[in-house]
Amino acid sequence: KTSEVSAVMAKADGKPKSIHHAKKWSDDVENLYRFQQAGYRDEIEYKQVKQVDMVECWPETGFVKKLQRRDNTFYYYDKQRECEDKEVHKVKVYVY
Amino acid sequence: MVVEKAGSSPSKPVGDRCPQQQEPLRHVKKSKQQVSDGFTVKAMMKNTVVRGPPLAGAFKERPTKPTAFRKFYERGDFPIALEHDTKGNKIAWKVEIEKLDYHYYLPLFFDGLCEMTFPYEFFARQGIHDMLEHGGNKILPVIPQLIIPIKINSGDGIDYSQQKRENIGDLIQETLEAFERCGGETAYINIKYMIPTYQSCILN
Repeated sequence: KTSEVSAVMAKADGKPKSIHHAKKWSDDVENLYRFQQAGYRDEIEYKQVKQVDMVECWPETGFVKKLQRRDNTFYYYDKQRECEDKEVHKVKVYVY
Repeated sequence: MVVEKAGSSPSKPVGDRCPQQQEPLRHVKKSKQQVSDGFTVKAMMKNTVVRGPPLAGAFKERPTKPTAFRKFYERGDFPIALEHDTKGNKIAWKVEIEKLDYHYYLPLFFDGLCEMTFPYEFFARQGIHDMLEHGGNKILPVIPQLIIPIKINSGDGIDYSQQKRENIGDLIQETLEAFERCGGETAYINIKYMIPTYQSCILN
């Protein structure tokens, strides 16, 4: 399952044109939080860096399940929400 | 030298140091106080002072025996790394969890639940969480090896909260419930046999 944001962003190429901080939690913000914890901007950058087509996600919730970091170690994420409300404003949303 | 009067009372004061030169040596010893342990024949004798009971050591700090988890971690045998730039609630795995030998690693991590110091207790707890969350059908065959370390840790009196995770008792309860749900028809009976205080999460 891919998020709506990633489906839109998949059409874009290259680097983002603008950035703003998330104000409210959502599924997309949750996934952005997970990518940024692993050291990537978002799904677009992850696929570019790791040269993969798919990102492993939890089928029940659609949240990212596993990411490989730039040092090749792996981060595993919970099936349920991990991004707390106090962390939401730190999540960066990139617009292409 | 003070001469003792005849017909004096048999219980002489403690500080009395009047030797009876006509008396044999043993009588001099009798007047001298002796220290003895309690509940002995000597304690019943006169001129005996019973010393107090020895300290039980109930509040004495007992150093924990280093766990196998700690030894393996310090040797670098674990495929995990601690990241100091994270928010402290995640560990990075050097090897994919799906490729780990659960028979080898899962019991070791459970053994590490005894640890009380950072980073050992963090790695043990978070490592178990990750391995159970992503283990799938790899967990079931390992359950018999986990019952003993869980039983040992369920009696731990430590009660502390760690960020988003509960105390060890809750983690153990959560783990046993996962075993009961995934372990088949006889799972509850086997768990109850090893840990009699366990309450089922499925049966009424």
